[in-house]
Amino acid sequence: MIDWPHWLPLLAVLPLVGGVLTPLLFHRLPNAACFWAASIAALTLAVAVALLVRLLASGGFGYAVGGWLPQYGIELRFDEIGALAVAAGFIALLSLVFSRHYVARAVEPDRAPLYYALVLINLGGLNGFLVTGDLFNLFVFMEIFSVSAYALVAMARAPIAALAALKYLLLGALSSLLVLFSVGVVFAMTGTLNIEDAAVLLDASSAMPAGLALAGLATGFAVKAALFPVHFWLPDAHAAAPAPVSAILSALVVKAGVVGLLRTLELFAGGDDLLQPLLTLIVWLGALGALGGALMALVQRDIKRMLAYSTVANIGYIFIGLGLATASAVSGAMVHSVNHAVMKSALFLAAGAIIHRTGLRNIDDLRGLGRRMPITAFGMAVALIALSGVPPAAGFVGKWQIALGALEAGQPWLVAVLVVAGIVVLAFGVRVINALYFRPPARVPVASAIEVPASMWLPVLLLAVASLALGLAGTPMLAFVGPAVQSVYGTIP
Amino acid sequence: MPELVDIRPLLAVLASLLCAGAVFTVRRSARWRAFWSLAAAGIKFALVWSMLPGILAGRVYAYQFGELLPGVAFGFRVDALGLFFALVSSTLWVLTTIYALAYMRNSHSLHRFFGFFALCISTTVGIAFAENLLTLFVFYELLTVCTYPLIMHNENLEARRAGRKYLVYTLSGGGLILAGMLAVYFMTGTLSLAEAGILDASIPHAWLLAIFVLLIAGFGVKAALMPLHAWLPAAMVAPTPVSALLHAVAVVKAGVFGILRTIYNVFGVDLLRDLGYAHWLAMLAGTVILIASVKALRQTNFKARLAWSTISQLSYIVLAAALLAPLAALAAIMHIANQAFAKITMFFVAGAIERATGKTRVDQLAGIGRQMPWTMASFTLASLSFMGVPLMAGFVTKWYLSLGALQAGSGIFVGVMVLSGLLNASYWLPMVYQAWFRPPADTGANLVPVSPMMVVPILVCAGYVILLGIGANAPAMPFSVAEAAARFAFELKVPLE
Amino acid sequence: MNILATALGHVDYLVAVALFLIGAWILVTSGNLVKKVIGLNVMETSVFAFIVTTGMIDGGAPPLVVEGMEGPYASPLPHALVLTGIVVAVSITSLALVLILRVKSQFGSIELDEIVPTDEARGDADSDAVGGDDD
Repeated sequence: MIDWPHWLPLLAVLPLVGGVLTPLLFHRLPNAACFWAASIAALTLAVAVALLVRLLASGGFGYAVGGWLPQYGIELRFDEIGALAVAAGFIALLSLVFSRHYVARAVEPDRAPLYYALVLINLGGLNGFLVTGDLFNLFVFMEIFSVSAYALVAMARAPIAALAALKYLLLGALSSLLVLFSVGVVFAMTGTLNIEDAAVLLDASSAMPAGLALAGLATGFAVKAALFPVHFWLPDAHAAAPAPVSAILSALVVKAGVVGLLRTLELFAGGDDLLQPLLTLIVWLGALGALGGALMALVQRDIKRMLAYSTVANIGYIFIGLGLATASAVSGAMVHSVNHAVMKSALFLAAGAIIHRTGLRNIDDLRGLGRRMPITAFGMAVALIALSGVPPAAGFVGKWQIALGALEAGQPWLVAVLVVAGIVVLAFGVRVINALYFRPPARVPVASAIEVPASMWLPVLLLAVASLALGLAGTPMLAFVGPAVQSVYGTIP
Repeated sequence: MPELVDIRPLLAVLASLLCAGAVFTVRRSARWRAFWSLAAAGIKFALVWSMLPGILAGRVYAYQFGELLPGVAFGFRVDALGLFFALVSSTLWVLTTIYALAYMRNSHSLHRFFGFFALCISTTVGIAFAENLLTLFVFYELLTVCTYPLIMHNENLEARRAGRKYLVYTLSGGGLILAGMLAVYFMTGTLSLAEAGILDASIPHAWLLAIFVLLIAGFGVKAALMPLHAWLPAAMVAPTPVSALLHAVAVVKAGVFGILRTIYNVFGVDLLRDLGYAHWLAMLAGTVILIASVKALRQTNFKARLAWSTISQLSYIVLAAALLAPLAALAAIMHIANQAFAKITMFFVAGAIERATGKTRVDQLAGIGRQMPWTMASFTLASLSFMGVPLMAGFVTKWYLSLGALQAGSGIFVGVMVLSGLLNASYWLPMVYQAWFRPPADTGANLVPVSPMMVVPILVCAGYVILLGIGANAPAMPFSVAEAAARFAFELKVPLE
Repeated sequence: MNILATALGHVDYLVAVALFLIGAWILVTSGNLVKKVIGLNVMETSVFAFIVTTGMIDGGAPPLVVEGMEGPYASPLPHALVLTGIVVAVSITSLALVLILRVKSQFGSIELDEIVPTDEARGDADSDAVGGDDD
């Protein structure tokens, strides 16, 4: 059963087909559409888990689409990086469950089925992106999840949503074009679109066009991942989107940029002259992003903008890890990608629950909410503390590994960056916790607020508990990504 | 040293964790809240004391499960030093909980208060029993998180300011510890606290200095080592049982304990003696003892004077540890208990006076000895202990510290002891004199009777101050544990005396 | 000189790069949202043109194996890629135009510097304060 070969394409096909069918089957039936979408997401999660079990049992494996063998046909590959699909399925499922009541208020009713369709298509695109072994499909799947993400941001009712979505779209499309252009260059140089194949053929190639391709791919994926200084689209888009969409965007879609960069590095492995300057640059930009994002988060009034800037900071952490290129740092960055996804989706969903009940988004207005909405506030407090890297919660594993990597790479100043950024992150977390728990209510909607229904608090609680539990699973997770680190960076110290 | 696998260290941490969960869930019933709070303190107390005979017989209890990070286990290991700290805090916890139940009776959000109160003891015992630096750090940071709601309990502007200051200081300290710990792990590949020194002289000196500064400064924040002390006087706005917790039992002692672990288990006395850093730490601590005493002299608020006195007393421990002499080490470890029992007596007294009369200033105490004789008698005993009067706990510290200073060839610190004793006398004795020998300012008719649940813990603590002073050599007393810990740090086979 | 020779040998590449830069220039500098989309389209076209030309071989025949037709064949793959790319580009353009319509109806303008987002536009509920302390 586990060995059935066709699970792999199902991972992408299931949500894509399910998504396309949603508006056709459930026109004007938003609740049924929600149930359908959640079921599809649950099935997708089950498929991802089945693939993970096989991966754990027998290592990475591939799939030739349509029976055409790799190099000629399209290849799908499931490896440790692709296993992010499990986190994607989990978070998408919880976001969909959360959406049932949220969307009824936040999105126009006749658009709700469309909303669920787009979430599923987004998930399908992400999953496809994670498992494709083919450069052009990388682009196609990237466009699938990107375009659906633009549309999802615009789904919110607030007038700002359309503008934020448009800004996101223009920058996203620009980055996609850079990627497509670079794919074209790689294809022109090697005559193949298969990533493994191209990686072999590209080694011998001349430096100039290869450098161009690397620069294009790196820039494109850096924009997608919102690496400083090309992060400026993110706070608008993530703050304006409906909360479950913000969760998916911050947790998963920006991580696709990270995965894209990892796949890119795989392509150029061995070209040290090209990679070294890029990696150095990435470390610096990551450090600036970690500090700048955390400081910007500290001065925000809007809770969702604060969370969005914190995503910029965490992307900074991850890129520091990728750029340091030591085994500890890279595996730490990979694990932090997953852990951050869990913590940040908990936070965005909790913020969504608060906005759903009170309509308030300014942190100072949330005073006294801890007594009115105990479970949501608890989830938010736990995830905030976990995010700041207080051990043994999930945020600590990545911080420790990346800082250790900084020492290994002979750059102790980065430890200071990580420590300071961690303290700033906790500072804004404490601001929210103070408002929630240690201040009397200041606004009418707070005083009359009650806890959200179980379909909303349960996802928040599950993700909050997971963000504590994942901290204890640091060692197995780091061991799990080990082979991926080796295959991306070749033999590193 | 035989190392036994034993689940009691884990149970000791888990027991009050579960009881804290129960306290959080029983929101309305005051009786069940009291039951679970006392259960948290009581079970822990029994478990910790049950390990005493084994430790005295030279055994070490350990319990490990899984790895927190590659190469660093999450585990507990009970050695003499850790057990000593756990004994002191778990004993005081029972008393503090009883006192708090009476003191906080009419306050708000009590399930939150007692829930986090129980969590604090859980994390403190976790610090005491940590097998490695990372486990210690985990509980150290959790202690910060768990004490924060307690400091913020009054939810007013003053409490928020104090809470903010506390967090900024302690979290920055945590950041320094994290950096130091990373450096230790990077250099040695281990964080174990099972040996007397995991660093060695082959490591570049710049790294050793960086590690020393980072770890001492990091732990120094909670130990209120000047100039990192500013959070402690600010945090006295918290309810009195919380002040007791901060000043005597958990928080500052966690910092001091971290410094002791750094000196004895991370560096080891031999390496530190060669490096010479400890000498500077001793000079700093000696200066802090005097400056903080002078500051205490100038305070008029009762709790503020106590806070500055705490800063001064904590530096005794740091000074004694930094002297790197076996007898001074004994003084350092013993003073964890001596300071704790005396200081907690004083805080309890301050809280009782505040509850009974509403008085919070030291110049309002005229004649109060006649109105609250038992309370003030306890206060007098505690102040005599701080002055270093023989037969009191504080004398034991000063005696061994002075002997240790002579052993280490730093006779100047004997002078510091004497001077500090005089300063202590000059700010405690006037209070004692006022309380007993001046006529009361009012008739005492509007005196609110103090619950026995507050008086009994005060008397028990005061009794301990005498017991620690005169019964120091009794076999089952903490003294023998402290001696065992000091022997281990200096790798001595024979008793110290 | 070597680079120049290579470049002159691929005038098509140079044209693609020039188009790409022109498009990027419009996208970045213009404050008008429709013009930004036009800039994006120019860039897309340049990338498509570039990829199509990579498949070109001098004197290459269409890749149809029929009687009388002999190689060298031009590579068909770039055309397939570009077709997909065009589909994506069309969908992005249409989505962008729809969003611009919404922006126009909500803010009354499609010039970025004339659009001023307010708190209300961010979706903040307006309600009265009931007091409470400040520090």
